[in-house]
Amino acid sequence: MTSIVMEDVSKYFDGGQTIANYRLTLEVVDGEFLVFLGPSGCGKTTALRLIAGLEQPSEGVIYFDDERVDGRSPSSRNVAMVFQNYALYPHMTVAENIGYPLRVRGVPPDERDRKVEEVTTLLHIEDQVGKKPAALSGGQRQRVALARAIIREPSVFLLDEPLSNLDAKLRQEMRVELKRLQNELDITTVYVTHNQEEAMSMADRVVVMNRGTIQQVAPPQELYERPRTAWVARFIGSPPMNLFEGTRRNGSIDFGEAGAVELDDVLRVGDTVDDEGSTAAPGDGDTASVVTSDVQGEVALGVRPEDLTITTSRPTAGNVIEGRVDTVEPLGEYVLVNVTVNDQLVNAKLADGTVSRDERVYLTFDDDDAYLYDENGELVN
Amino acid sequence: MSLRDHFDAVTADTDRADGLAVDRDKAIAIAVFLIPGLTLFTIFSVAPIVYSAIGSFYSWDTFTMEHFVGFDNWIRSLTDPLIVNWSNMREFQYPMGALTHNLLWVVLHVPASTFLGLALALLFADLKGRRILRSMVFAGFTVPPIVIGLVLMFVYDPQAGIFNEFLRVIGQGHLVRNWTQSPQVAIYALIAGGIWVHTGFSMLLYSSALSAIDPSLIESAKVDGANAWRRFWDIIWPLVKPVTAVVVIMGIIWVMRMFDIVYAAGGAAGGPNHAYSVLGIEVYRAAFRPQIDYGMAMVVALLQLFIVAPLALYIARMR
Repeated sequence: MTSIVMEDVSKYFDGGQTIANYRLTLEVVDGEFLVFLGPSGCGKTTALRLIAGLEQPSEGVIYFDDERVDGRSPSSRNVAMVFQNYALYPHMTVAENIGYPLRVRGVPPDERDRKVEEVTTLLHIEDQVGKKPAALSGGQRQRVALARAIIREPSVFLLDEPLSNLDAKLRQEMRVELKRLQNELDITTVYVTHNQEEAMSMADRVVVMNRGTIQQVAPPQELYERPRTAWVARFIGSPPMNLFEGTRRNGSIDFGEAGAVELDDVLRVGDTVDDEGSTAAPGDGDTASVVTSDVQGEVALGVRPEDLTITTSRPTAGNVIEGRVDTVEPLGEYVLVNVTVNDQLVNAKLADGTVSRDERVYLTFDDDDAYLYDENGELVN
Repeated sequence: MSLRDHFDAVTADTDRADGLAVDRDKAIAIAVFLIPGLTLFTIFSVAPIVYSAIGSFYSWDTFTMEHFVGFDNWIRSLTDPLIVNWSNMREFQYPMGALTHNLLWVVLHVPASTFLGLALALLFADLKGRRILRSMVFAGFTVPPIVIGLVLMFVYDPQAGIFNEFLRVIGQGHLVRNWTQSPQVAIYALIAGGIWVHTGFSMLLYSSALSAIDPSLIESAKVDGANAWRRFWDIIWPLVKPVTAVVVIMGIIWVMRMFDIVYAAGGAAGGPNHAYSVLGIEVYRAAFRPQIDYGMAMVVALLQLFIVAPLALYIARMR
């Protein structure tokens, strides 16, 4: 039972030339399933290796519970890790592989055998104990790697893209199994993946990373519902959120030829009140107080594909953006319509596709489904 | 034509004897391509071995085969003190016989060069400038052994030699001597030189074996709690075992065929009073130096072959 705290942890390589992680501050609570999610090269694996002790931070401190562990070796941190390629010792049998952490710790053979039997039963690999890793399938190797990690009841369980070498069906199965295992064992788990479906389905909280920094830490649902930056919005969801680029002016967002959307509808709370420039706002008087309407600048209006509706005639009310149908992809479960708005391609998920190519369409959405990001990519409302 | 017909036609085709004819053509082609290689192999490898095997049972007048003498050559050679000198061995006095000297090389040179090679490979694995260091160590192996022998002569020279100079510098001047000409220590001096040369070879093989080990295995062992020694003993050593087999066997073959270094340092006699003669030297002397004893040369050469061939065969068949 361990909580992990990272405070301003940075990791530089090549004498500071490469910044792998920059000022990560994070708390993993006891028994939590935390997932690092991000594209390749975003520093998520380095972050995991920092927790494991395979790398030492260039700056910052790491605590396990209240004990400072940075600078300590992996073995003294009592962490267990599952590597992407499983890292099974090829010259040892499955039983020897699983029992190795105990052998190193001088656990007597009888006790070791008993424990090996216990975990192999738990992971349904009791028939494979005499085999060498080369004789196992990918899924079985994965289980052996998991068994080796859990046999010594670590305080922290680290997994580095453990499912990426499995086929789709097996990945799905192992996902469920991993989640079940983590629930049963109740070990603090840090999991690294670039697969958002994996992250969303398993995590208690997701840490979204990009270019070595943390973008957002939130439970999966919140991540989907309130992406804090435009980058996260563009990263989460399949297909991800559409970001309509426009100019904010006079209380509305102008999309040029595609039309304009009233800002006060979208901006229910309003951004920071600009003391100097808060002259009387045009538009509805009752929302004027929360909208600093003369603020100008490039903004992005985010709407998820599943929240867009398409009509062929211009609606009289609500938020309307005009576009032209580019392609229609019938995917069975839903129809994905790609629409060109100005020079930008956006997607809409529809139940059925009654529109056709090059047709002029109107995209509408509810105020509640819209997100406004300022020019720095920060969420405004 | 229906699909069924197509299918029948296909099976009918394979039923005919065409397949056999193709195979015969192939076999002939293979044989034709093999002829040049096999011819050379027969003339230069098989024939001399067979010739020696037969010749070792005949008496010789210089290079002329005379009459069958049974095991005469064999008994004479194996009881010759130049090959095995039992009485000197009991007193640990050199020379102890060429075969004994060869085995001494095996016992001292092979483990030393193997472990030194592994140690250097491990040391250089994560070092900056490891390429330069590796090249420097390996350079010794690229020098012809006869040159190594000459270099050793210089190294051990009582006046100009760097080794004696080193002894003087560290205050061990009383040990200074002409190392290659002192019967009781000369062989060790040469073996030390041999180790220097062969360490480069084993280091190179171990270096490539080490770089082939997946780094995540070592990291996994670290996380599992293994210290450096256990990581070496439990993970690295078992994984480089195949290379160890190759290094050891190649080492044994190399020292069993030893000739140049000894010849350069001690001439055709193999040092003062044959003090560090080896089988290769004995073959050379019996065959080409008066009193020419061709029968004995053949026996000793076969003796070398009997020791080396199974080892070579083992390596060749290793997976």
